[in-house]
Amino acid sequence: MLVIQPMKKKLLSLVIFQLAILQLITAQSAQPDFMRSTGKIYVVVAVIVAMFIGIIGFLVYMDKKLTKLENQIKD
Amino acid sequence: MLKHWWKILAVLILLYTFTVGLLVPLGPGITAIAPQSLTTGKVVQLKIEGYNSHYASATEKSAWLKVGKNLTLPATKIEAASEQDMLLTFEIPAHFPGEKKVASASLILDNDIDGSSVKPSAVVLTQETLAPEGAALAWSTATLTGLHDKSGMNFPFRNILAETIRNTYFHVPLWFGMMILFLVSVIYSIRYLLYLQPKDDWKAVAFTRVGVLYGMLGLLTGALWAKWTWGAYWSWDIKQNMSAIAMLIYLAYFVLRGSLDDMEKQAKIGAVFNIFAFAALIPLLFVIPRLTSSLHPGNGGNPGLGSEDLDNTMRMVFYPAIIGWTLLGVWMSNLLHRMDRIKEYLFDRM
Repeated sequence: MLVIQPMKKKLLSLVIFQLAILQLITAQSAQPDFMRSTGKIYVVVAVIVAMFIGIIGFLVYMDKKLTKLENQIKD
Repeated sequence: MLKHWWKILAVLILLYTFTVGLLVPLGPGITAIAPQSLTTGKVVQLKIEGYNSHYASATEKSAWLKVGKNLTLPATKIEAASEQDMLLTFEIPAHFPGEKKVASASLILDNDIDGSSVKPSAVVLTQETLAPEGAALAWSTATLTGLHDKSGMNFPFRNILAETIRNTYFHVPLWFGMMILFLVSVIYSIRYLLYLQPKDDWKAVAFTRVGVLYGMLGLLTGALWAKWTWGAYWSWDIKQNMSAIAMLIYLAYFVLRGSLDDMEKQAKIGAVFNIFAFAALIPLLFVIPRLTSSLHPGNGGNPGLGSEDLDNTMRMVFYPAIIGWTLLGVWMSNLLHRMDRIKEYLFDRM
């Protein structure tokens, strides 16, 4: 039986995922000057990493949904 | 291959923005000056720390302290210790004009390689007594001549921002992309209400999904950028708050759809909600932040994207970045609604 997935679960997990990443990046900045070194270039790195993770999150989401479709075709 | 031209375009544009946006160096700037408090009538030495500067290899060097609108005092001695470190000697006269005992002075540096750069309010000058009336003052009122221009391509150096100015090509296009995706989504929602074709609804949902992803990433990247420039992940800035509210409204869209079992109801109510959400988005992001003061540039009454926030070199990367990230978003939503179509097809066959 096909049921449209409720989106809220997925989106909630995405938000939690991103918050976890935020925590991770903060933890790294324990030495106060790392993020400010070399003209704060690591802030740009952090932003690009965050966007990359977001796009990977989209891929994971697509992968899961496609797997579900494939299983339905097999049944 | 031909019908995929816009996907190839998206990749090429993003490659361009990544390489140019990350590789073009910043122009020279001043990061530190010591000491910052000076008393008049003394010979003082200022230690200058530069960024992307060429103090040692430059041949024609000059420096001035500037008080008020047009009073300048040239440095008497300039010694470069390295490309980034310089020692300036100023013979500060006993008085500076004006009715106050304290004045802030800007520092102007110029050399043949770096061009000229200004550090506003670089030092504070204190005089014991006010300048006696009619006294000839040692400060010059002549306009500075012979300043050099920096050659080559550079992004501007801004105090506090420094290299993070490059986030303009990542954080800002996400929001522009989100707006365009939401706009497309609302057009499909209107089309759905007019013709009641399910495929319009799928497209509306897909564009909203990617729009929300962009918005979330926009909030996240904005928080990261803010932490090391404004001092906190979240400063309760008006634009931060309003965009968070806008994101909650769009999350409610999915909650609403998920709470309805009937597909047609989902599509109809979803389409109506989407139109209202978009109508709420415009004042939240573009009107309310302009009515009050904000940390974001282009708010608090100022026009956005003015020449102070974005120079022509940055425009060469910023505008393509908007197109690139938007096309990528369209590509992602395209995948989502094509998958929904396959799901529907399987559903009909079972």
